[in-house]
Amino acid sequence: MKKLLLFSSMWVLLVLAHNSYAQTHTVTGTVTEKDDGSPLPGVSVMVQGTKTGVQTDPQGRYSIKADNGQILVFTSVGFITKTMPVSGTKMDAVLESTQTQLADVMVVGYGTQSRRENVGSVAQIKGSDIAETPVQNFEQALAGKAPGVQITVPNSVLNTPPVFHIRGTNSINLSSQPLIVVDGVASYTGDFSGGESGGNALSNINPDDIESIDILKDATATAIYGSRGAAGVVLITTKKGKKGNALVTLDAWTGATSATRLPKVLNADQYIALKNEAIVNGGGNLTTTSVNSSNDAAGNPISTDWEKLLYQKGISYSTTASVQGGDDKTTYYASTNWTKQKGVLKSFEFDSKSMLFNIDHKVNNAVMYGAKLSYQNNQNLAAISSGSLSGEAYGTTGLGRLAVLLPPNLAPYNNDGTYNLNPNTPSQIGTGADKGIAISYPNPIPSLDLDRYNNEINHIASSVYLQLKPLPWITFKTVYGIDYLFTTNDSFNDPVQNYTPSTGANSASATDTYTAYKHFTWDNTLQFDKSFGKHSLSLLLGNSQEGNNTNGFGLSRSVLNDPSFNVIQAGFVNVNTSNTAGNLSTTYLVSFFGRLSYNFGEKYFLQGILRRDGASQFGADKKYGIFPGIGGGWEVTKEPFWHNMGADKLFSSFKLKASWGKTGNNAGLGAYQAYSLLSAGGLYNSQGTILPSQTGNPGLSWETTTKSDAGIDFGFLNDRITAGVDVYYNNTTGLILGYPEPPSAGLASSPSVNIGSMWNKGIEFNINADIVRTSSFHWSGNFNISYNQNKITSLLPGLNSTTYSTSGLEIANVNQVGYPIGNLYIVKSAGIDPANGRRIFVNGKGQQVEYTFTGTQHYFYMDGTNAPAINQAADATNYTNSVPKVVGGMTNTFRFKNFDLNVLLTYQLGFSVYYGTLATLSDQRFWNNSTNLLNHWTTAGQTAAYPRVVFGDNVSNGTSFPTDFNTFNGNFVKLKSVNLGYTIPGTVLSKWGIRSIRVYVTGTNLAIFTKYPGPDPEVGSNGTANSGGGIDRNTAGNGMTITGGVALKF
Amino acid sequence: MKKKFLYILAIALLGSYSCQKSQLNQISPTSFNADGSAFANQARINSQVLGLYSNLRSGQLYGGRFEIYNDVKADNWLNSTANSITAYQTWTETPTSVSSEVLNLWAQCYTTINNANLFIDGMASVPTSVVSSTLNAQYVAEAKFVRALAYFALVDMYCVPYSSGSSPGVPLRLTGLSTFGNYALAPSSVTACYAQIISDLNAAESGLPLTQADAASNVDRATKNAAIAFKTRIYLAEGAYASVITEANKIVSATAPFNAAASGGVNYALQANIANVFKSPYTTTESIFSVPFNTQETPGTQNQIATYFNNIGATEYYLNQSSQLFTDPLWGATDARRGFITSNSKGKSLTKWSAPSPYTDWVCTMRYSEVLLNLAEARSQVNGPTDLQAIALLNAVRQRSDPAFVYVTATQAQILEERNIEFLGEGLRWFDLMRTSSTIPAKSTVPAIPAGGYGTAYIWPMSGNEQQYNTLIGR
Repeated sequence: MKKLLLFSSMWVLLVLAHNSYAQTHTVTGTVTEKDDGSPLPGVSVMVQGTKTGVQTDPQGRYSIKADNGQILVFTSVGFITKTMPVSGTKMDAVLESTQTQLADVMVVGYGTQSRRENVGSVAQIKGSDIAETPVQNFEQALAGKAPGVQITVPNSVLNTPPVFHIRGTNSINLSSQPLIVVDGVASYTGDFSGGESGGNALSNINPDDIESIDILKDATATAIYGSRGAAGVVLITTKKGKKGNALVTLDAWTGATSATRLPKVLNADQYIALKNEAIVNGGGNLTTTSVNSSNDAAGNPISTDWEKLLYQKGISYSTTASVQGGDDKTTYYASTNWTKQKGVLKSFEFDSKSMLFNIDHKVNNAVMYGAKLSYQNNQNLAAISSGSLSGEAYGTTGLGRLAVLLPPNLAPYNNDGTYNLNPNTPSQIGTGADKGIAISYPNPIPSLDLDRYNNEINHIASSVYLQLKPLPWITFKTVYGIDYLFTTNDSFNDPVQNYTPSTGANSASATDTYTAYKHFTWDNTLQFDKSFGKHSLSLLLGNSQEGNNTNGFGLSRSVLNDPSFNVIQAGFVNVNTSNTAGNLSTTYLVSFFGRLSYNFGEKYFLQGILRRDGASQFGADKKYGIFPGIGGGWEVTKEPFWHNMGADKLFSSFKLKASWGKTGNNAGLGAYQAYSLLSAGGLYNSQGTILPSQTGNPGLSWETTTKSDAGIDFGFLNDRITAGVDVYYNNTTGLILGYPEPPSAGLASSPSVNIGSMWNKGIEFNINADIVRTSSFHWSGNFNISYNQNKITSLLPGLNSTTYSTSGLEIANVNQVGYPIGNLYIVKSAGIDPANGRRIFVNGKGQQVEYTFTGTQHYFYMDGTNAPAINQAADATNYTNSVPKVVGGMTNTFRFKNFDLNVLLTYQLGFSVYYGTLATLSDQRFWNNSTNLLNHWTTAGQTAAYPRVVFGDNVSNGTSFPTDFNTFNGNFVKLKSVNLGYTIPGTVLSKWGIRSIRVYVTGTNLAIFTKYPGPDPEVGSNGTANSGGGIDRNTAGNGMTITGGVALKF
Repeated sequence: MKKKFLYILAIALLGSYSCQKSQLNQISPTSFNADGSAFANQARINSQVLGLYSNLRSGQLYGGRFEIYNDVKADNWLNSTANSITAYQTWTETPTSVSSEVLNLWAQCYTTINNANLFIDGMASVPTSVVSSTLNAQYVAEAKFVRALAYFALVDMYCVPYSSGSSPGVPLRLTGLSTFGNYALAPSSVTACYAQIISDLNAAESGLPLTQADAASNVDRATKNAAIAFKTRIYLAEGAYASVITEANKIVSATAPFNAAASGGVNYALQANIANVFKSPYTTTESIFSVPFNTQETPGTQNQIATYFNNIGATEYYLNQSSQLFTDPLWGATDARRGFITSNSKGKSLTKWSAPSPYTDWVCTMRYSEVLLNLAEARSQVNGPTDLQAIALLNAVRQRSDPAFVYVTATQAQILEERNIEFLGEGLRWFDLMRTSSTIPAKSTVPAIPAGGYGTAYIWPMSGNEQQYNTLIGR
C-alpha cells in the first residue's frame, strides 16, 4: 500500500513535471557536418508530425518553435536524417554524410547492389581514405587498405605503375594486373611513358575526386566482366554533385621527399686503399696500374659523394579545387587539380593538370541523363635513366647504379669547371690520376644538365548516359564512353658526351615518338527489379561493345649540324623512323551478359551470372567464350533457431556465402597474336619482299581462371565490430605460352598456345571496429591480413621449368612446375675459406668449390683439385619464393575534439629478395664498394665477411650469377602513412563565409621495420612482370615524404 | 502511341548495332593474313618470291655462313679467334647438337623450306586472272629452286654421304605450315632427300624462264640454266655420272671455248680473268647464282664472309699454309688465283671478298667453272681419265688462270685438286671431301677425321632443338 502510494505520487509528480514543460518555446541551434565540423546551411528542420519547419541559414543556424517531448527531424540531401527529441532551448545537431554510410551500397559490374544482397567478395575503399596523399596515382594509396590486395611500389621513379595483384599472380605471360573500370568505362592501365620516367595511365584520376573504389575478387563479382575478370576488377566511381548551394573546397599541400637507407659506400681514401690492395693481390704493379688521389681546385683531395650529387630532396605541391551543388533536377561536380612533384633522383619530375566535370539531369521520373568530362595533361620528366624501370637494371647510365658505383676519387668537374670526361671518349668519365684503369661508365652530370627523356600524356576520359524508367521497376540505361590517351616522348642526347675528339664529329641524337591510344565503350543495360511478397528479384540484361585503336610513329635523328641545337626539329644529319613499325592495331570486344539476383526475405540470397564475350584477338575457332558465375548467401541471424540458440546476443549479423564461376584473362594478348601473318621483310636487291612473319593459332583464346570462394561476414555489438573471412581457390588453366615446335616445321614464330596451368589459394581476414566512440573521442580501426599460395602445375610438354632474366642479362627467377611463380634461382655458397680467403660456392652436386680470380684455373675442390666452373644452369637451386605469402595492413583513426589522426601500417611477409645491388656494391672492378667490404680477408686464419680482394674479380661477390649471400629475407612492416589534422570549427569561421578549415601534416614511408639490408625490400627491378619478382638490382628505393596541407570548404 | 513507337525504334536500332561481327576478324594493316590475301595480285606474289630468295640469302645460310662452314670444316683454314659464335667448333670438328651453327643453319634452312612450301601451296589456288599459268609456273619453279638449295645445305652438313643412302637423312617437309599443330615428323632416308632435291630442280628447270629481266636478276634469281647447273652438283654427289653428263651437256658446248649458247638461256662462259667474277657488278655470265648485298642489305654481324677469310675485319681465320693446297707443287706461282692471296704479319688471307664494312660483296653460290669441272669429273669416271673432253674442261679452268699449264690426263684426284684451287673460300671443299667419303685432313692441333656415319665427328650432329621437340626424329 505504501508502495502504491509512493508510486502514485511519483506519477503525479511526473505528470506535473511534464505539464510544466509542455509549453511551446523557441529552440535554437547549429547544424554541423560530422566529418569536419563545418556548419551546414539549407538543412530542413521539422517538428515531427506537424507542418512546422525551417531551414538553417548559411552559418548552419536555425530557430524553431517546438514543445518539449516533440521530435525534431533534420534532413538534408547527402546526409543521414537525424531525429532528436526536444529538450531545452539549445539543440545542436551533427549530421553524418551518407558517404560514410556508403558501405551499404556497393558498386558492382554494370550497377549497384546493397551490401546485404551481395554474395560475392568485394572490398570497398572510400575516396576520402586515399585523398590528401602525396601520390601520383591512386593505386599507390591502396596498399594495406583491403584484404587480398597486394600493392607494391617497385621504385622511386615518379608515376610508376605499382604492382597490383588481387589474390596472387594469375598469369605468366599475360598481365596479372586487374581490369580498371572508371565510371563504367574500362581505362587504359600500365606504363605509357616511353621515356625514363613513369607514365601511369591512371594518374589521370585525382584521388580527391574518387567517391569509392570497389575491388571485385570472386567469381560472382568478376564473371560479369567475362574474358577480362580473372585478375580481379577495380571499379572507380568519381564524385557526383549533391543538391544544395554550391560547396567549394580547396585542398592544397606541399611536401618534400628524400631518399632513405641509401647504401654506405667507401670514401676516396678507403676506395684508394682497397682497390690498390686488390691490384697488388692480382699481381699488378702499382706504378702502371693504380687508383690515385688528386686534388680539387682548392687543393683538397677529391672525395666525391655521388649519392649526394645524384639524389635530392624532392619538393612537391598539389592543389585541388572543386565546386559542387545543384537543385532537384540538376546536380554537378567540377574539380581541377594542379600538382608538381619532384623525385628523389635528380631531374625526375611529375607535373599534372587535370579536371573533372560530372553533371546529372533528371528530366522527370522516367528520363535522366548526364555526362562526365575528364582531361589530364601529365608531364613525366627525366634527364637520364634511373636504372629502376623494367629492363634498365644494367644500364650504365642508371642513376641508382651510378650513385653507388662511381669511384669517389673522381670528381664530377675538372678544376677549371668543365665536366670531367675522358678526353678520348667523352661518353666515359675522366679517370683523374688513376693509372691503367679503364672506366666505361659515364659522368652523369652533363646528362642531368643537357639530356632529356621526357614523356607527356594527354588523357581524356569522358562519357554520356541516358537512363529511362518506363515503369518504376524497369530501368534502361545506355552509356557511351571514351578513354583516349595520347603519349609523346621526347629524348635528346647531348653533343658533349656523344662526341669523337679525333674527328671532331658529334653523335648527338634526338628521338621523338607519338602514339594515340583510343578506347570506346558502349553499354546498354536493361534492369528489372520486382518484389512479390518476400521474394525479391532483380534481373540485369546487357550488351557491351568495346574497341581499342593504337596508332603511333616516331622519328630519330642524329649528328647535330650545330652543337647548340637540342630539339628534334633542329638540324641533324641522319633521319630514321622510330617506334613506327607495327605500331598500329585495332581490337574489338562484344559481349552479352545477364545477372539474376533473388532473395527470399533478405535471408536467402542467390545470384547467377552469365556472360558471352567475342573478341577480335581470339583465334578463329575460339571467337566466343562463355563465362558463368553462381553464388549464394544465407543471413543466419534471420533464422528462428539462431535466436533460440541465443546466438543473436553475440552476433548482430552473421552471413554465410559461397560462389563459383569462370573468368578469363586476355590482358596483354596481342591484337593479332592468333593470326598467321605475312609482312614486309627486308629488301632483296633493292626490291621489297613479303614473308611469313607470325605463326597463328586459330584455337588461341583467353586464359581461364575458375574461382571458388566461401566466406563469412559477421558483426558484434550492433555491428560496431564487423569482420569477414574468405577462403578461395583460383585455378588458372590455358596459360598462354609460346609453344616450342620442332625447328624443322620452319614456322615464322612460336605459336601462342593455351597450355600452362597454375593455382592460387588463400585466406583473407578483415576486421573493422569502432573501438571508442564518445562525443569528444573516436577511435576506429581496420586490420586485414591475407595469405596466398601460388603453384605452377604445368608448363609445356617435356618442359619442367623456364627462367626469367632481369633486363635480359641475369637470370635470377625460375618458373618451375610444383613451385610458385618467379622463385629465386640462386647458387649456394659456404662462406670464405679462412686459409686462403677464397669464396666457397656449393655446386649442383652439393660439393664445395672455391674460386680464385687469378690464374687460368679458377675453380678448385676443397682438396685443391681442379673443379669445373660454377654455372647457373647446372648449379643453381630453386631457392625461395620471391612473392610474399602474407600481405596486409592496419589502419587506426583517432578523432579527439578537433584533432584527427590516421596511422596506416602495411606489411608483406614470407618472401625473399635478391639484393643484386649488393653484388654491384662488392664487385672488384673499379666500382666503388659498400663499407661492408672493409671486412675482407687479408691474412690466413681470418674469418671475414668478404673474400680476399683481387682487382677485376667479378665472380667472388656475386656479379656473375645470383648467390645466396646476396639474397635476404624481405619481410617488412612499413609505417606507410601518418596523417594528423586539426579542424578549425566552422562556427568560428562562418562570419568569413568559410565552412571549415582543416590543416594537416602527412608522413609517408616514415619507417621500415625489416632485416633487409637494402634501401627498400618493396622494390623490384622488373616492374609488373609476373615472373620477375623479388629482384633489387640497382633500383632506387622509395623515398620518405613529409607534406603539410590545408583543406578549406566554403 | 508515339512513345511506344519510339521505344520500338530505339530497341531495333540497338539490336542492329549491338554486335559488329565483321569487327571480330581484324586484319593487321601492316600485314596480310595468311589466307588468300597474300596472293591477291602479281606484285605481291613477286614480292613473296623475292622474300624466298632473301631467306636463302640470310647470313646464316648462303649469305655467308654456309660457305664458311664448308670451308673451315675442311683443311685450308686456321682459326684465329677461338670464338664459338664464328664456327670454332666446326673448325675443331667438335660441334654439339646445341652449338650455335648447328642450331642456326638447321633453323634457317627449314624456315626457308616452310616459306617455300607455303608459297607453293598458296599458288595452287591463284587464278589466271591474277597471274598467267606460265608466270604461275615460273614463280612455283623459283620456290622449288629455293627449296632445293635449302635441302642441299641440310644434306651437305647434317647427312652421311649419298653412298650410305639408306641411312636417316632429315625430315622432308613439303607442305606449308602456318598455324599451331603437331609437327612431329620422322626423317626420310638420305636417298629420299637427294631425290627430292632433284625432283625440285627438275620442276624448276621446266618452269623457270630461260632468262630473267636483266643481268642482275639472271644471277640473283633462278633461271632454267641455273637449275640445270645445280643438278650437275647434286648428281655428282650421288655418283650418278651419266646424269651429270646429260644435264651438263644442256649448258656446256662440246668443245672449247665452253659456253651455254646452245641452251638458248643465259650464255654461261668463263671470264677471261677470274678476278672479274668477284667485282661489282658481280653479274658476269660466269656467275650462275649469287646472293646480292649492298649498303642497305648486309649479311649481318659475324656472318660476313670477308670478316672470316679476308683480313679487312675480324680475320676469324687465316689460310693454312701446311694444307695439301698450299703444299701443292703443281699450283704454279704465276697462277692468277694466287692473286687472291694476301698476307700480313699474322698470316695469309683471301681477297675474293674485298668490299669493306658493311661488306657488300655478293656471295657466289655457283660458278660456271664448277659445272665444267662437274662434267669433267663425270666423264672421267665414266670414260676414264683420258677422256678428251674431260681433259679439255680441266684445262679450260686451269689455263684461264695459268695459261702455261697443261693437263694431259683428268683423274678424279686432279679434278678435285683443281676444284680445291679454284673454289678456295667458296664453300665447296667440305662438299668434295664428304661426297667422296674422304678423310678430313689434320690441321694445326685438330686431328684428321676419317669418314664415318652419323654420331661421329665427321658430320654435324642434328639440331638439339629438333631432337628435343620432334618426338619422331628418332636419333
